[in-house]
Amino acid sequence: MGVTDAARMLGVRAPDRSRAILVVTVDGELAVAVHDTAPRGMAVIRDARTDDAAAIAGACLPWPWMVVGSTVSVTPALATILRARPVLIFWLGAAPDGLPSHARVFTRPAALLEAVRRACDANVGGMRLAPGSGVELRDGTLLRGATLESLVAAYPDGFALPTRAFRAVAEALARHDAGWTPERDRDARMALVPSSTLVRQ
Amino acid sequence: MRANPEVLILEDDAETLEELQGHFTRKRFHPLGARSAARALSLLENNRYSSRPVLAIIDWDLGKAPDRSASSGDVLSRLARELRECPVIVYSQNIDAFNVRSQIQRSHPSALLHDKRDGDASLLERIDRMLDRTVGDLRIHDGTVVVHLPTLDQHHHREAIRLVVHHPDVVTFHSDTATKAVRRFGEWLQSHSSAVRLVSHGNRKYRLSVTVSEGAAPENDA
Repeated sequence: MGVTDAARMLGVRAPDRSRAILVVTVDGELAVAVHDTAPRGMAVIRDARTDDAAAIAGACLPWPWMVVGSTVSVTPALATILRARPVLIFWLGAAPDGLPSHARVFTRPAALLEAVRRACDANVGGMRLAPGSGVELRDGTLLRGATLESLVAAYPDGFALPTRAFRAVAEALARHDAGWTPERDRDARMALVPSSTLVRQ
Repeated sequence: MRANPEVLILEDDAETLEELQGHFTRKRFHPLGARSAARALSLLENNRYSSRPVLAIIDWDLGKAPDRSASSGDVLSRLARELRECPVIVYSQNIDAFNVRSQIQRSHPSALLHDKRDGDASLLERIDRMLDRTVGDLRIHDGTVVVHLPTLDQHHHREAIRLVVHHPDVVTFHSDTATKAVRRFGEWLQSHSSAVRLVSHGNRKYRLSVTVSEGAAPENDA
């Protein structure tokens, strides 16, 4: 096996449907720190470099739950995914071109890692991320769906994406009488809000 | 008939390999031992339809390997691609170095790390904690059966053992045959009114969840 083949065959490029945190850096140090921060079993940490980040993002099915980056550029292929899907984006240092407006920028690694931990431990009205994938509702029901996972983890923030990307989540939450629904917030981002708030308005 | 679950061991030091193999044999597992990455890849290739190890123990540094045509990273990548349901422990003298950890994580994002400087006894203790698991009212016995402790009834399928070893993590199963076995295990848990239930995450992904009743002990983690 040659070097090129070996790089292509890396386990980090294997397609998988587990919740994934894609960490794009020049040397992997931040990926190691994220690995130590995320609770065990909550997400697979995929350690990427600029040149393989888009390929690895494509192996995160249906898309990466979170992308963490530092001191690297974002290739057009990766930027396309980040602008089209509700992906949590945490960036250390100056954000490169191509990131959507809902990307969060941090100046200190400790603050970024704390945000990663909070996203993993998010609890929105009893909805929590289940280990590996899906969201557990207050009654123990497991709801599958990457968009809902992103909305729960981003709360109270949201995503600068079209409303249609969240219709299936709104229907699923209504079907389970979860008491929450995605709505556009004052920053024009789609975020979770209590359904009762909407009834009162 | 009970098929003893296999454990893959890649260790370049002959004495340590023998010690690890002996440990697993005493625990009724079937060790697949290799001193080189090439040999480990060959074992995986030759047994790909009959053998899917329930655990892999990988020495990252293979300086004493008789054959250097492949690396431990190649074995980890193969495990990550083709045996995702197999938990992997990687140990190294340099496990604290971020570049080593990064290389390991790029080869196998879910690998568990162990510091070789803590000695072989520490590794064996950790392995025992994984394999002699008690999860809720279930316990693995002799590496070959899951015992429901209140009734002492036994479930023999290796996929059940895999779920208990992995708890609380999600396991991705590789075939319809495996997922059928998992669902039968879920029915067995229900029929025994076990405190443990099977949770489906779709796409052949399952995990065990323990219902903690009032006054009961919390879940036991490895």
